Order: sequence, then C-alpha cells, then structure tokens
Amino acid sequence: MQITINGQTIDVQDGLTIMDACAIAGIDIPSLCYLKDVSANASCGICVVEVKGARTLLRSCITQITEGMEIVTNSQRVMDARRMNLELLLANHPQDCLICDRNENCELQQLTFDLGMHGMRFVRTRKEILPKDETSASLVRDPEKCILCGRCIAVCREVQSVQAIDFSGRGSKSKVATFMDLGLGVVACTNCGQCALVCPTGAITEKSSIDDVWKDLHNPEKIVLVQTAPAIRVGIGEAMGMPYGSLVTGQMVAGLRKLGFSKVFDTNFTADLTIIEEGNELIKRIKTGGVLPMITSCSPGWIKFIEHFYPKSLAHLSTCKSPQQMFGAVAKTYYAEKTGLDPRNIVVVSVMPCTAKKFEARRPEMDSAFHYWQSRMDLSHADHFYDVDHVLTTRELARMFNETGIEFAHLPEENFDSPLGESTGAAVIFGTTGGVMEAALRTAYEVYTGKTLTNIDFNAVRGLNGIKEAEVDLDGTKIKVAVAHTLKNARQLLDEIENGTSTYTFIEVMTCPGGCLGGGGQPIPTNTEIRKKRAESIYYEDAHKGIRKSHENPEIQRLYKEFLLEPLGEKSHRLLHTKYVERKI
Amino acid sequence: MEKAAPFIIAEPELDAVIGKHLGKPGMLLSVLEEAQEMHPQKYLPGETLLSIAQKLNIAYSQVYSVVTFYSFFNLMPQGRHSIVVCRGTACHTKGSKALLDEICPLLGIHREANASESNFTTSDNEFTIKTVACFGQCALSPVIAIDGIIHSNVNSQKLAKILNKIKSSAKASGDK
Repeated sequence: MQITINGQTIDVQDGLTIMDACAIAGIDIPSLCYLKDVSANASCGICVVEVKGARTLLRSCITQITEGMEIVTNSQRVMDARRMNLELLLANHPQDCLICDRNENCELQQLTFDLGMHGMRFVRTRKEILPKDETSASLVRDPEKCILCGRCIAVCREVQSVQAIDFSGRGSKSKVATFMDLGLGVVACTNCGQCALVCPTGAITEKSSIDDVWKDLHNPEKIVLVQTAPAIRVGIGEAMGMPYGSLVTGQMVAGLRKLGFSKVFDTNFTADLTIIEEGNELIKRIKTGGVLPMITSCSPGWIKFIEHFYPKSLAHLSTCKSPQQMFGAVAKTYYAEKTGLDPRNIVVVSVMPCTAKKFEARRPEMDSAFHYWQSRMDLSHADHFYDVDHVLTTRELARMFNETGIEFAHLPEENFDSPLGESTGAAVIFGTTGGVMEAALRTAYEVYTGKTLTNIDFNAVRGLNGIKEAEVDLDGTKIKVAVAHTLKNARQLLDEIENGTSTYTFIEVMTCPGGCLGGGGQPIPTNTEIRKKRAESIYYEDAHKGIRKSHENPEIQRLYKEFLLEPLGEKSHRLLHTKYVERKI
Repeated sequence: MEKAAPFIIAEPELDAVIGKHLGKPGMLLSVLEEAQEMHPQKYLPGETLLSIAQKLNIAYSQVYSVVTFYSFFNLMPQGRHSIVVCRGTACHTKGSKALLDEICPLLGIHREANASESNFTTSDNEFTIKTVACFGQCALSPVIAIDGIIHSNVNSQKLAKILNKIKSSAKASGDK
C-alpha cells in the first residue's frame, strides 16, 4: 500500500496503524497511553497527526492507513495540539519530579522535555489531594501522579485477566480505583506489578524496603545475607545504564559486597533445592496416584491468583515453597547451625525481579526457621522473625547502587560466597518461562529412570509462546507437560483442569510475561524485545555453567547429607514445604 | 436508639432480577437499576454489588466503574425526601447557588464537613440534597425538584414555603 508521510511516498503493508507506518518510515510518534501488545485506548491525545481530507487531527495509534493516505506528523497544527494536550495533562500533575521514584525514568517528564514545553498556562483544577493507596504489601498507588492513560487497567485485564483495577467516576472525577476504593491490599490483586512496569509516570511503584535494608546493613549486631534471584543478573545491568539483557552476574556480586552485605548468596542455590524437592514430589505423585497435573509454586503472584480465583484446584499446586522462601528457611537453620550464628541476628535480604515476593515474604506461615528454633533455643514470641526479612526489587537495588556511587559497569567480577552461592545451569533458567519445567525434567528424568540424560536442552518449552507443551518419555512412561506464562494463559489451563479435560501431568506457571525476567520489579522499560534479550542471556549462562542439573550441585548434595537427610523428609516438610489458603475474590 | 441492621436484598429476590436480565445486552445496568429500586434507601450497598458481580460473572472493579460513572446510582443511603437543585447555566445566573446554600439553614440542619457540594444526606436520613447539570427547564429557571416534582421560578420565599411543607409532613409521619 502506498502512503505519503511528510511528503515522502513509501510502500508499506496493509492493516498497519499510522503510528506503525511512521515507525517504518523512521518517525517515532510520541504517546503516553499506547503500549504495544498491551493497550490502545487512545486516551492521551499525544499521538495526533494531520491527514489530508480529515477534518480533525487523528490519533495515529488507532487509525489504520488507507491507500494513498497523506499524513503530516510535523505541522504547526500537530505540534500545537500535542503541546496543548500535554499541558492539560500537566495541569493537575504534581511538579515534584525531583523527589519522584520515576525521576529520569518517566515518560511524562521525557515528553515534556522532548516537546520543548516552556511555561504552563493552566492552573490545577482538582481541589482535593487524592490519597495514596498503601494497603498493599507490594505496591503503592499515587492517583495524584496518574494521567489516566489506562495502561495499568489494560495490562491487569488483558494480560493477567485479574481486573483488580478499573476507572471510577466520570469526567474530572475520573480515577483508577479498586472496588469501592478498598485498596490493592484488600481486593483480589496478585501483586504481580505489571501495572507498575507499564505506568508512564510514578503513579504505581513498589513499596520500598530500601530504608529497612540500610538500617540493618548499618547495624553492627546483624549479619545481613543477600540472595539474588536468577533474573536479577540479566536485569540490573540495564538499570545501571548498560545494554538490554546485559549478563552481569560477577558485577552484581561485587556491587552487593560493596553495599556491605556480610555474605552474597544466590537464590539459584535454593532453585536447585526446589528442583530436588519438586522433582521428587512429582515422581511420588505419579507413582502413588497423587493429584495430577501437579503445578509449580515458585511464582507468588500465581499462588495468590489461584487462591483467589480457583481455590478448588489448590491441591494441584506443588507444596514446595518458592526458592526465595526456601533460602530464608535454610539460611536461618542449616547455615546458622553450620556457622554457629544466632538466627535472631541473621537478616535475609532478597533481591527479586518481582513485587509479589514482598507479599510472599510476609505470608504468616513463612516463619519456619523461627519454629525450628523455638523449642531448641526456648524462644518467646517477642523473638519472632520471618524467614526472609526484606525484599528489594531490581529497581530498588539499582537505587542503592546509585546512592553509594558504585560504578557498576566497571566493577571487577566476583563470585558468590559458599555454601549457599553454589548453583547449576538448571537454576539459572528459573528466571525465564519454561525454565522451571526444563530444570525439573533434567532431574526428574534421571531420578525416575536411573539413566543419564544425554540431550538436556528441552527446546519445546523455551520461547515466548503463551502456552507451550511437550511430551516427555521417562523411559517408557510418557508424560505430557505444559508451560504457561501470564495469568490469562494460566487461567486457560486451570479451566481445563476444572472441567476435566486437562491431559497434562506437570504444568509450570509463571505470573509475568516471559517469566521472572519480565517481572514487575524489573527495570523500566520492559517489553517483548527486551524480554527476549534477557532470556538469551539466561540461556547463555545456563549453557556455560559447568554443572547443569540440580541434583549434581555438590553443595545441595552436602545439604542433604549433613542436614535435610532426604528429599521430602521430615525436615524438608517443616522447612521447605508449605500450604495454601482459600481467598475471597 | 438502637441502630437497625442494614437492609440487604434477599438472595432469591436478587436472583429473580438477575434471571430476568442475564445474557441480555446491558444486563448490568438493568440489574443495578432494579436492585437500587428494591432497597428502601434507594442505594446499592457494597454487599449487593459483590453479589451482582458474582452472579453476572463481571469483575468487581468493573461493576464499581459502572456504578460510579452514572450519577443515577447511589453508593450511600438516600434520604426519604430528595431535593435536587439545578446548577445549569441558566439557573446559575438566576441564583441557584444561593438557593442551594439556603437549604440547610431552612431545614435547620448542619451540613457535615466532609459532605461534597453536589450530594449529601442529612444524618437523620430525612433529606438528600443533590445537584444536576440541567433539567432542561431553563425558561422556568431557577428550578428545584423535590421528591420528583419540579418547582419553577424558585426564590427564597418559595423555597422556604415548600421546605416547611415537607418538614411538617415529615414530622407528622414521624409522630405516627
């Protein structure tokens, strides 16, 4: 199809929007509400262009091109309209950019600069100050900073099928709200944080734990351990100004040491542990006629989702805690015992690509180490501690690095501490959709068949398709497995289970698009292209690890020999497994 | 005085309303409208919204979105009498703001500090005072609708007379 953009005639395919066609022509049309694959509700009025024959300016994000269309993107009329619409948005927007969480990473701020705004003619029209929603353990919403673009509502509905938020009111009273304005912490929100990832401003952010972490780091009585999730090593570099998907494991470890953590450990260690427990749980369920399909339980957004929306299917969940929680429990029991440390003085900090992990760490049942020590040390309730004390997102860690002036990209690479820093390639891939499945299959195959797996790459479960499936031959026993990422896709598999048509034995679910590497705590922006780059780095790290099967991790073998004794044993049951609750919607 | 338990629409009655509209276009609006009518205080309590959302399989947030979009729906109990002041341009130029401000002193009540200008109910649930953008009766401005009856060319004296009449009838019914 032939169209003209700013006097230049180009050939493009049918069915494109003006915005996409302009991108092909090398013109980046600004927008505050449009977001590829997520939202096209044409609310912001920034992407307007002039089209010959059209009476008004048209919104390029939703207008399809037609044969011979003559588009002008840079006329005075277009520029004036964009500036006017932006000025109107800014009238009610706070001007405290300097102390905003999204300062220098804000689309509204960037656009204001790009469009060369100087001076604002409009005064604030909203009389009251809209209160913040701080009810959630994971997220904070500040409606004052909201520009009503609707991206958060779209991602919550279209990608996650959760619908925790929607517009309320009308006209100047419009805002994004939860049911009856009860707050995210009260309604059925999974804490996935995809809303925070797509917000163009600072209206949705994680609930920060930075101050709490500094307080413990500066307390000489505390031994502060840090664990890093698999997806941090492919995300934190971006937040420190490096290219998308930069693999920076060594720099990250060095940086964490510079912040003052006593030991830098790896959630990958307990990812390997999860595989041993979960793999054995799967085999046990297959052999003893347990509830199948079994579904993975590493992703806390997913856990809260099934607790709210499909409580009848809770028995399908693996009883394994997530690697974050296994780490806390192991650090405050096994490691404390090994080193002779008082568990009350150990502080476990997690760095997670995830906002839901903040909620998970505060689930009331996540205090196994306290119960372990309660009788042994005669602890009182005043001594109570959680397995994981603080959870930082990737973005929060970047802020801490920046606060201390660490030149991240130039740090010499360092290695994790032992013993809770040892991990395999199977653990690294926990950070991407399909990774837990692949890691579990590598171990389950060998445990089940007693044979060595020669080709350990399960390519069928890799990639960004919404639902992936594969058939695995466990030496004669064929099982069907499925992998879903995003809660909308998970819902589809759950519906199959509930109506009796599911043919799978084992299912992996990750809450966020792309898995943890696309999590709600990851650097902004995070989009499909960036997710792919992070996944490449994850698989690169896996391929270059000496050991790539969880059960071959020597420190895990030692943990069983010295402490846990056997998978699914008594200690595992108390420390590494958990239960779920039914929640109302 | 003991506070009466809040009225909640009985399950079978709500089911009947839902059965009538389920699957039809605009079912949510029809159900909300009837449910509000069924409540003696002409409003939609949170519990009712939850039931409606569940029974229609619509997200809670979306039901709340619809209810807050239309000024027809009430989330707070409505008074036995409604007083609706037109705040359209014509009525405004004829002094509707002053009339609105006079209502409270005339009724001998204090307006709660947190009440918004456009919609509040007296603490004894006798009166709900609301504003609308326009009744379409501009030629007769300023207009005020009281219990559904539109009074035209209202001035202070006329307003006082009308309100006194309701007040005494309210008292009479209260004495019964």
